[in-house]
Amino acid sequence: MRKFAGSYFGRLTFFILFGFVLFLASNRVDELRVYQGASVAMYVVAIASLILLTGYSGQVSLGHGALMAIGGYAAALSRNHWGAPFWLCFVVAIVATALAGSVLGTAAARLSGPYLAGSTLALAVGLPSIANQFHILGGEQGLLFDIGAPPAALGADFTEYKWLFWISAVAALIAMWWLQNILRSRFGRTWRAVRSNEVAAQLAGIHVGKSKTLAFTVSSGLAGLAGAMLAMTISTVSPSAFPLTLSFAVLTGAVLSGVTTLSGVMIGALILVATPDIADAISSRFASSENVTTNLPGLLVSALLILVVMLVPNGPVEQMRTLRNRKRAKALR
Amino acid sequence: MIGINRRRLLVASAVLATGGLVVSTVPAQAFSPHSEVGVTNSAIKLGVTIPLTGAASPGYNKVPSAMKAYFDYVNANGGVNGRKITLVVKDDQYVPTLAVTQTNDLILKDKVFALLAPLGTANVKAVATRVNPGRRGVPVLFVNTGYSGFAVKKTYPTTFTMLPSYIVEAKIMAQYITETYPGKKIGLLYQDDDFGQDALAGFKQAGLSLAVKVPYASGSQGVAGVPATWIQKLSAASPDVVILFGVSSATAAALGTAAVMKYAPKWILGSVGGDATTIKASGVPAGVLYGATGASFLPATTDTTDEYIKLFQSINAKYNNNAVFDNNVLVGMNTAFVTVQAIAAAGQNLTRKGLIAAIEKNGAKFASAGLAPLNYSTTSHVGYNGYWFGTYSPTGDLKPNGGVYTVYTTDSGSGAIVKSTYKRPAMPADGLPTQP
Repeated sequence: MRKFAGSYFGRLTFFILFGFVLFLASNRVDELRVYQGASVAMYVVAIASLILLTGYSGQVSLGHGALMAIGGYAAALSRNHWGAPFWLCFVVAIVATALAGSVLGTAAARLSGPYLAGSTLALAVGLPSIANQFHILGGEQGLLFDIGAPPAALGADFTEYKWLFWISAVAALIAMWWLQNILRSRFGRTWRAVRSNEVAAQLAGIHVGKSKTLAFTVSSGLAGLAGAMLAMTISTVSPSAFPLTLSFAVLTGAVLSGVTTLSGVMIGALILVATPDIADAISSRFASSENVTTNLPGLLVSALLILVVMLVPNGPVEQMRTLRNRKRAKALR
Repeated sequence: MIGINRRRLLVASAVLATGGLVVSTVPAQAFSPHSEVGVTNSAIKLGVTIPLTGAASPGYNKVPSAMKAYFDYVNANGGVNGRKITLVVKDDQYVPTLAVTQTNDLILKDKVFALLAPLGTANVKAVATRVNPGRRGVPVLFVNTGYSGFAVKKTYPTTFTMLPSYIVEAKIMAQYITETYPGKKIGLLYQDDDFGQDALAGFKQAGLSLAVKVPYASGSQGVAGVPATWIQKLSAASPDVVILFGVSSATAAALGTAAVMKYAPKWILGSVGGDATTIKASGVPAGVLYGATGASFLPATTDTTDEYIKLFQSINAKYNNNAVFDNNVLVGMNTAFVTVQAIAAAGQNLTRKGLIAAIEKNGAKFASAGLAPLNYSTTSHVGYNGYWFGTYSPTGDLKPNGGVYTVYTTDSGSGAIVKSTYKRPAMPADGLPTQP
C-alpha cells in the first residue's frame, strides 16, 4: 500500500482524486467562487513555474509576467488567425513560450544573482509594450481571446465560468502532475545538483549551462501556459494585462508558498486571489474612502510578504517539515 | 521528496475522497431570488467600473463623483419611486483585466441591479465577452464609448450607448470640413484600433478625401519621440487642416509637440480628445487648444443661460465639493439624469427586463441636456446621434461658432447628414423626473 502511494500511479491517483473533488466543488459554490477558482489554477501554474526556476534550479526571475505575455499572445493569435481549438491554443502557448525561454535561458545561464534579476526585470518592463509597435498584436487595446461557450452537451445550466474553471483546473492538474514527475526524473536531480553546488555538479559530469537552460525553458513553457490561462479568464490579451505588478504578484505568491518546495503552491495562489476580497471586507467595515479600498490589497500582500520572509523564510510548508524533523530528532535522542 | 511522502499522500488521498463524498451530499445552491437583484423596497444598487487611478484617469475619474452627486440630489428629494440610488464605484485603471474582475465583483458579489457608464472600448468589449452581461440579463446603461458596435442589439442585447458613435462624429465632421474649408488639403491623425476604424469608416462614408493619414498605436503617445514622428509625417504632406481623432493624451502630445516644432495648421479635434482638463493633466497648457475647432453634443459647460447647466452647476456646488465644472462632470451628471428617468419609467415593480423595456419604449422622450436627440426604440439602442461645432477659448473651453448651437445629425450607416430640428424637452421642475 505504501509503495503504491509513493509510486507513479499513486501520484496519478492523487491528482485524479483531487480533480474529482474540484469537480464536485465547482457544482456547489457560487459563480464568483468558480471564477476565482480559475484564477487560483492560473496562479498555481505561474507560481509553480517560478518555484521550479528558483527553488529547484537556483535561478531568479523578476520577469515572469513577460513570459506569460508571450503565452497569452501566442494563444490569442492561434485562436484568432487559425481558429485553433482552445486546447491547441494552450499547446501553442506552451511551445512558443518555451522556445522564447530557451533563447532567454541561454543568456540567463551566463548570468546570476542581481544581474539575472535585473535583466529579467527589464524583460518584464519592456516586452509587453512591443505589442504597441505591431499592428498584428493589437496595440494597447490588445486582442480578444474568446474560447467560446461551453459545449451544449453539458447542459443549459452549465455556466461559462464553470467551463473556464474546468479547463483551468484540468490544465493546472496536468501541469503539476507532469512537473512532479519531471522533478523526480534525471532532469530534476540534475537541477537540484546544480542549485546546491555548481562545481560539484560539474565534477559529477553535469553540463551546468545546459541544465540551467533546460530549467529556464521548462519554466517558460509553464509560464506560457499560465499566460494563456490568464488570457482565457479575461478573454483578452493586451500589454496592460501583463504589467510589472503581475511579475511581482507571481514572485510574492512563490515566496508565500515557499520557494524551495512545490507542495505549498496552493497557498500562494489562494492568498493572491483571496486578498482583494479580504481587503474589501476590512475596508467596508472600517473605512469608506475609495483610496483605502484601492490600496489595501497591496498593503496586505506586502505586509504578509515581509512577515513570511522574516518568520518563515522557506515558506510555511518547509517550516512545518523542519519543525517536525526537529521533533523527531528530539524523540530519537 | 517534493513535499509529499508516501504516508502523507495516502492520508491526503483519503481526506480528499471523504471530502468529495461530503461535498456531494450538500444541496446545490438555491437559485432564483424572490425579487430582482440589486433592488429592495427602499434602495437600488448600480455599479460602474471606470479609471480612478492610472495614466488614463485624469478627467474620467471625475465622472463617478458627478453621477453620485446627482443621485444624492435625487435621494435627498425622496429617491425614485421611493427608492434611493447607491452607486458602487470600482477602479479599473483603464485595464481590461481589471475591468473584467471588477465587473465580476459588481455582478456576482455586490449584486448590482445594472451596470452604469463603463468606459473604454477595449474594456467594454472584454467585459461583454467574458462576463457577458447580455446573457445574464444585466443592463449595461449608457456606455462611455462611441464605438458603433455596442449599439448592435443582437450582439449586445442589454447595452445602450449614449455618446454619438465615432462614425456619426466623423461623418458630421467631414461635412463640416468640406463646407468650411472647400478645396483644402486635409490630414488625419487617428488611433489604430476600433476607435480609429470607426472614424475612418465615417470619413469614407461622407466622402472626405484625406491627403495624409497617420495612424498611431494606442499607448505610443507616451513614448518619447513618437509624437514628433506624427508631426513630421503630417507636415511632410503639408495639409491645411489637420484632424486629431484620438484620446486626450494623444491630442495633448500632438498639440504640445506641434507647438514646439512651430507647426500650426488649422486643428480640428474629435470630441474624445478635446478635453482641457485631461490635456492640462498631461502637462500641456490648455492654451494649445486655443483657436482649434471642436465638437460636442452637450451645451457648453460655461453656458449659464442653459437651464440644465445651471441646475447641474448648483448640484455640483452642493453635492460634489464644487469640483471644476468641466465636460466630465457634465457628462456624469447628464448620464445620471437620464438613468433616473429610465428607472422612474420602469415603474414601481422594478426589474432588469422592465428597465430595458422602459428605455426602449420611452427613451426617445427622456429629457436630457443633450442638444441632439436620443434614439432609443425597440429596434435601436443608439443614444445621441449629432454634434455641433465650436471653437476653443484661451482657457480651453469649447464655445459654439457664432454663439449658436447648430446641430447636425446622422446615423452610423449610409444615412444622410441633416441639420437637426430637435427641440430639447424642457427640464422637469427642479431637475427631478416626474414619476408615474
